[in-house]
Amino acid sequence: MSLTIKVTVNGKSVSAGAEPSTSLLEFLRDTLNYKGTKLCCNTGECGACTVLFDGKPVNSCVVLAADADGAQVVTVEGLADGEKLHPVQQAFIDTGAVQCGYCTPGFIISVKALLDRKKHPTAAEIEEAVSGNICRCTGYAKIVDAIELAAERMEDSTLGLTSGGRS
Amino acid sequence: MAKAEYTVLGTSIARQGGVERVTGAGIYGIDLNLPDAVRGGILRSQYAHAKIVSIDTSEAKALPGVYAVVTAADAPDVKYGRTYIDRYMLAKHKVRYMGDPVAAVAADSQAVVKQAMKKIKVVYEPLPVVLDPEETMKPGAPTLHDDMPLPANLPKNANVKNVCSYTGVHVGDPEKAMAEADVVVEEVYETKMIHPQYLEPRIAAARLEADGRITVWANAQAPFSVRTDVARLLKLPLNKVRVLSTELGGGFGGKASGITSGAAIEPICALLAIKAKRPVMIVLDKAEETISTTIRSGAKMYIKTGVKKDGTIVARTGKVVYDAGAYSGFGAMAGARCTQMLGGWYLTPNVHIDGYVVYTNKQVCGPVRGPGGPQAAFAVESHMDSIAAKLKMDPVEFRLKNVPKSGDKIVGVPKLRDISLGETVRIAAEKIGWGKTKLGKNQGIGIATGSWIESSGPGGGAMVKVNEDGSTTVHIGKIDMGTAPRFGIPMIVAEELGIPVNDVMVVNVDTDASPWDAGTVGSRSIIVSGTAVRLAAIDARNQIFKLAASQLEASPDDLEIKDKQIRVKGTPAKSVPLATVATAAHNVIGEVVGHGYCDSKLMAAEEKAHGNSPPFTTHACIVEVDPDTGNVKILKYVAVHDVGFVIHPVAVEGQVEGAAAMSIGQALCEQVVFDNNGRTMNPSFVDYLMPTINMMPRIETTLVHGYPGAGPYGAKGAGEIGCVPPMAAIANAIYNATGVRIRTLPLSPENVLRAFREAKR
Repeated sequence: MSLTIKVTVNGKSVSAGAEPSTSLLEFLRDTLNYKGTKLCCNTGECGACTVLFDGKPVNSCVVLAADADGAQVVTVEGLADGEKLHPVQQAFIDTGAVQCGYCTPGFIISVKALLDRKKHPTAAEIEEAVSGNICRCTGYAKIVDAIELAAERMEDSTLGLTSGGRS
Repeated sequence: MAKAEYTVLGTSIARQGGVERVTGAGIYGIDLNLPDAVRGGILRSQYAHAKIVSIDTSEAKALPGVYAVVTAADAPDVKYGRTYIDRYMLAKHKVRYMGDPVAAVAADSQAVVKQAMKKIKVVYEPLPVVLDPEETMKPGAPTLHDDMPLPANLPKNANVKNVCSYTGVHVGDPEKAMAEADVVVEEVYETKMIHPQYLEPRIAAARLEADGRITVWANAQAPFSVRTDVARLLKLPLNKVRVLSTELGGGFGGKASGITSGAAIEPICALLAIKAKRPVMIVLDKAEETISTTIRSGAKMYIKTGVKKDGTIVARTGKVVYDAGAYSGFGAMAGARCTQMLGGWYLTPNVHIDGYVVYTNKQVCGPVRGPGGPQAAFAVESHMDSIAAKLKMDPVEFRLKNVPKSGDKIVGVPKLRDISLGETVRIAAEKIGWGKTKLGKNQGIGIATGSWIESSGPGGGAMVKVNEDGSTTVHIGKIDMGTAPRFGIPMIVAEELGIPVNDVMVVNVDTDASPWDAGTVGSRSIIVSGTAVRLAAIDARNQIFKLAASQLEASPDDLEIKDKQIRVKGTPAKSVPLATVATAAHNVIGEVVGHGYCDSKLMAAEEKAHGNSPPFTTHACIVEVDPDTGNVKILKYVAVHDVGFVIHPVAVEGQVEGAAAMSIGQALCEQVVFDNNGRTMNPSFVDYLMPTINMMPRIETTLVHGYPGAGPYGAKGAGEIGCVPPMAAIANAIYNATGVRIRTLPLSPENVLRAFREAKR
C-alpha cells in the first residue's frame, strides 16, 4: 500500500508516493532528493536529520512521512536567499564551526528555530536548543561562537545595521 | 617565525568547502547517487567465535530482485591484514567476532537485501569465546588463530598464547634504580573500548567499467590503502582499480586503516558489483557499524615508578596488555605506542615495559585518534598525581621537576630539541588558577600533560597546476574531513604563489590522478601534504619566473610575485599578470605543474642531526562531583598546546577542542559494552553515550609559540594530541575533590559511586 503525501518543502508544494513505514527523512532524501538532511543514527538521537516541521525542529528519521501530509517542512536547502547565505549559515562558516560538516545542517536548523523564537538567547537557551544535536568534531566551542555571532548579526540587521565579520 | 612575515599564514580564513556544507549539498559518500545502482548488504556472524560448518545461499539467490549473493567461495583465496595477514574479506572456516562478514547480497532495494540475508543458511559450530585479553593470554585459553605464530621477539619464558605482537622497552637498569629509590608507587589502570562514532555512516560503492576496470567510491581516510587491498583481494593490477574519495563526514582514525577499518566493505562491494554486473552501493547502519568496524582498544596497564625524596624520577617499569580484537588490525602499532608512552615523557633514566597485544573475540583495533596514547596517558598522568601525593608534593611542582631538557632523551625520542612541556604546564596552571582558585564543596582541580609523535611515517607528494587564468588546481593524496587539506593547505599555496586563497582549489583524492599517500592519518596532513605542497608551489613559482623572465627582460632571480602579478623587485611598474605567464606556458612547456614531496628519510636525517621537537600539551580542569549520584560536572577546562608554527589558528583550536571532547567522552561516559557471549550491548546511539553540549565545558584553548616542528614553516601536527591528557586531568580533579583515586574508565556515575563505596570499606 502506497500513500500519496502532499507536503510543502521550503515553500514549494510537492506530492509523491510513500510507504506507510517511510520516514520523513527517507522521503526527503530518497524520494524528493533533499540530500541536505543527513542520515546518521536513525534513532532520533543525533540531530543530523533535523528539519523544521510547521516551524518546530524535529528529528526527521523518527517522523513518518505520512505524518507530514499537509505540513510545512523547511530543510537546510531552504535557508539561503539565492547566493546569499542565511546569517546562521554564514556564522557557522565565519567562526570555524564547520569541520567535517556532517552535523552542520541539523545544527543550523536547530539554531534557526531558536533564533526565530528568541532574539537574545541566553547561554542556557542556546545549550537547550542544540542539546539534541551531536557534533563529534568541534567539542562545541566554535558552534557556540557561531550561534552567538548569528544572534548578534540578526539583531543588527533588524536594527538596520549591516552585518559584518568579527575581528 | 612571526606571522607578520606572511600574508596569509597565521590567519583564520574561512575553510574551503564551507558553503556546500552549510547549504546541504550532496557531497558526502552517503549522498552518492549512481545511475542503475543496486543496494548491497553484509551478513555478519552472530557468534563471537565459531566454526562455519556450511553456508547455503540457494534460497537467497532465488529471491526475486536479488542480483548476487557472495561468500568466501566466490572470492579469490587471498587474506589481508593491516599489520599481519590474518583475515579473509568474507569469513572462511571460522568467525572470530560478532560482526565478522560472512556473506553479502546485492538486490533491488534495502528491503530485498534484508529478506535475502535472512534466507542465507549458515550452520555454525560455536567455539569458546574469550573477551578479556589477560585471560586469553593464559596457556589454557582457546586458540584464536591456528595459523598465526607467536611473535618472534617474545621474552623468554613468557609462556603466553594468542599474542599478536610484543613490544619491549628497555632503558638503563630499572631494577637497580628501583631498589635505590626513596619512594616506589605501583598501580594498575584500565581503559575500555570506545568507538570513534564519526557521524556519517560508512559507505562503499563499486562499478565494473566496460574496460574491465573497477571504480570504487569510498568515504575512507586512506583511499590508496583501500586501492591496494581491493586490488590484492580481487587479484587485479593496481591500474585496474580506481578509488574515488567522497567527502567525509568525520573519521577520527575510524576510517583510516584502509579496508581494515570497515571490515572489508570496499572489496566486498566490488565483488558484488562484479557478480551482479550492476553498480552496487552499501551503506552501513550505525548499529552495524559499532559492532563491525574498528575501535579504540581497551588497555590494562601495570605501572610502577621509583622516585627520590626530592621528586626526581629514577625508574619506571610496567606492563601493557592491549586488546587487538579478533584480527591484528592496527593493534600492533597502537599497542606499541601505548607501551612506549607508558614510559612517560618526563626525564626517566631507567625504564622497562612489556607490551603485549592480544587477540580476543571482539571488534578490531583501529588507529583511532592518537592510537594508544590516551590510554597510556590516563595511567601515566593519574600515576604522576599518586606519586606526588605519596611525596606530599604539589602535582605541578612534581611535573616541572621532571621536565626533560634539550639534548635529553625520552622513550621513543632519542634526542629532544625544543621542549615546550614545562611552558604548557605553567600556562595551564595559571589559566586554571592552580593554587589560587577557591574551590567549593565537592569541587576539585586536576592537571595532566601529554605528548605525541612529531614526524615519523610515510612520505607523500603534491602537485600544483597553474591554470591559464592564474588559478591553481592542487592534488594531494590526503582527504579533507575538517582537517588541514582545506584549511592550511590552500593557504600555503596562496602564500608561496602570491595569489588569493580563493584561487586555490584542493581537489579530492582520485587514485588515478592524485599522488600516492598513506592518507589523512597520524596528525600528518600538515607535515606531509603541507611540506609537499609548499615545495610544489615553490617549484611552480620557479617555473613561472623562468617563463616571465624573458617577457620582463629580467633575471628569474630578480622577480617576485604578489597580488597575481609577477614583478621585478624594486621596479613594481615592470610587471606581467600571472594569467599571462600561465597562458604563455602553453607554447613552451604546456602547463606550469609544480611538484613537491615530503621526504621522510630527509626529515628523519634532520631530526637525527638536530633533535626532535615533539608537540606537548597540558590540560587542566575544575570538576564538581555529586556525592549522591556520582555525576561529574566539568566547571572549567583549559587546554594548552604547542603545535609549532600555527598556520590556521581556528583550525588548530578546532582540532584541539574536538579531540579533547572525544576523550572527555571516554573519561565520563563512552564505552562499548559486551555480554559474556561477545555481543555488543549498546550498538546504537540510544545506548552508546557521547558528549552533547550539555556535558561539555567551554574548552579554553591556548597555543604556545616558539617551538618549531618538522613541518612547513615549523608546524607540527595537531589532530590527535588533544585526545591524550583529558582522562587523567578529570580523574585527578575527582581525586582532588574526593580523595578517591579511580583507576578504571569510564568515570561514569555508576563507577564513581562504586569507587566511593569501595573507598569507605
